[in-house]
Amino acid sequence: MKPLRPSRIALYVAVGLLGVIILYPIYILFLVAFSPAHFTLDALYPPQVPHAFTLQNLTLALHSYSLIDPLLQSLQVAFLVAFIALGLGIPAAYGLSRLPPGLAYGITTLLFIANILPALTIVVPIAAEFISLGLYDTAVGLALLQELVVLPLAVFILLGAFQSIPREIEYQARVDGAGLTRTLFGTLVPLAKAGIIAAFLLSWMFSWDEFTFAVILLPIHPTLPVVIYDNITRGNLLATTAFAIVMTIPVILLTVVLQKYLKGEELAGGLKG
Amino acid sequence: MGSFPPAPAPGGRSLLNPFRRRFRLSRETWVPLAFILPALGYIGYFAFYPSVDVVWLSFQTPFPAAFGYNYGSLVQLRLWSAVENTMVVTAGALAIQLVAGMAIATILTKEFRGKGVFSSIAILPIGFATVVAAFAFSLIFPAVGGYANSALVGFGLPPVDWIHPNAQALLTIMLADSWKNTPLVTIILLAGMTTIPRSLYQAAAVDGAGPVRRLFYITLPNLKRFIAITLIIRGISEFNIFALPLILVGNHPILLTVLVYNLYSPTYPAIYQDSAAASVLLAFVAVFIVIVIAMGGTRR
Repeated sequence: MKPLRPSRIALYVAVGLLGVIILYPIYILFLVAFSPAHFTLDALYPPQVPHAFTLQNLTLALHSYSLIDPLLQSLQVAFLVAFIALGLGIPAAYGLSRLPPGLAYGITTLLFIANILPALTIVVPIAAEFISLGLYDTAVGLALLQELVVLPLAVFILLGAFQSIPREIEYQARVDGAGLTRTLFGTLVPLAKAGIIAAFLLSWMFSWDEFTFAVILLPIHPTLPVVIYDNITRGNLLATTAFAIVMTIPVILLTVVLQKYLKGEELAGGLKG
Repeated sequence: MGSFPPAPAPGGRSLLNPFRRRFRLSRETWVPLAFILPALGYIGYFAFYPSVDVVWLSFQTPFPAAFGYNYGSLVQLRLWSAVENTMVVTAGALAIQLVAGMAIATILTKEFRGKGVFSSIAILPIGFATVVAAFAFSLIFPAVGGYANSALVGFGLPPVDWIHPNAQALLTIMLADSWKNTPLVTIILLAGMTTIPRSLYQAAAVDGAGPVRRLFYITLPNLKRFIAITLIIRGISEFNIFALPLILVGNHPILLTVLVYNLYSPTYPAIYQDSAAASVLLAFVAVFIVIVIAMGGTRR
């Protein structure tokens, strides 16, 4: 084995250091979740390494607080957001990819201006409006607002996916007698699968994480992030750790799946447009 | 769009109306446009209408008062310190994220043992909800005790109050936000780096350019567009940073968003809502200015 060059050593030191910094908060979260409280939250200067293992924190929290309702609410909103993103985003992205560049650029800019508007700006008047529409404190109402942030991003990713499909394939399908909708859903959508999955997962994950709209719009039937915030403000820190872990596990799994579909080409494809 | 030009006579092309041909949408245009329409209608109702509404509300009062009364009353509610803190957090967090994202993306362009594991770790914080990240950082950086202080005391250093002094509180917010959001910056910059031809680096190496010169003369100029995108996306989010400061430090060094949240009430004709609307408008203007600056920077 040949000796390492200094630049290699520097690289490995940087990799190690960054790895530790990124993993440290996650490690602390799990340490607090699975250690007896007198080693963690009850200690003034808690030790950095685990001293004992317990599942009691989690079981206690799951028994004394209702987790099912916020979990179902979060799932419901996240799936609604992801499906609406595809329902509005796929036609819009296809349309944009077929418009003259100048017009497409203008519309994309309009979408991103909508994204730029601060969430709190939008939610203050909309909350009043939703009370009269009966959408206040409902999953649909929250999903419709969260969609604002998700939709431009979804269109951006889907546009990249559609642009990477050669126009000849579409012409071929049309020549073979497929109508416009059949061309889109029968030929183009299957080819843009990777981009569509990426858009779906990103939308889902954004909604799962979203806090600003949720804390204002769903005070009575909150989603998981709001329940976590409520427990922190009440000082139920052990319960919070349990909720935090329950909330994190599905997203970690999805991130691993997403990595397969989000290699950078999707984002780069959109940028070239 | 339909009212001008006037409806032409059926059949023939009107010579009197030169606009007609230019304004007529071809099939090539209106079919794709129809596909986009639902998304546009949605955005119009849920984004543009409320933003106009909020401006209108910000000038309403339940009693006759001077124009801009709500804005005046906000100044007494620490508006300027909220603006200042928001600016500081935005600038600091952007700087940290760009430098860290650049470093991690550069590492990921190289080949080394354990690269797969490192790239998974580098993207991992994306999977943690903002509230969860805020909670983890509140365990590390509390006012008294906690894991950061436990490390400091272990090295024989005095403990630090991470929450109450302005500087520490803003730093804690920046660190937590950067931990959560650097992966996104890394992904965008990495996508940009893969578009730079390797031959440029090889030529530079032959000419004797070291890593620092290669960074400033090849990587950064070629990444300009990607850096601009990152600044715009992240800059806007930084102005809207909300859950993190609310959980980490609460009201003490107050940020604009937290100020809006404190004033919020959905009932008419609460003066608070108007005040909230007023301050939100201000946040929007601030965000807009940042974008203009960012765009201006890339036009050069």
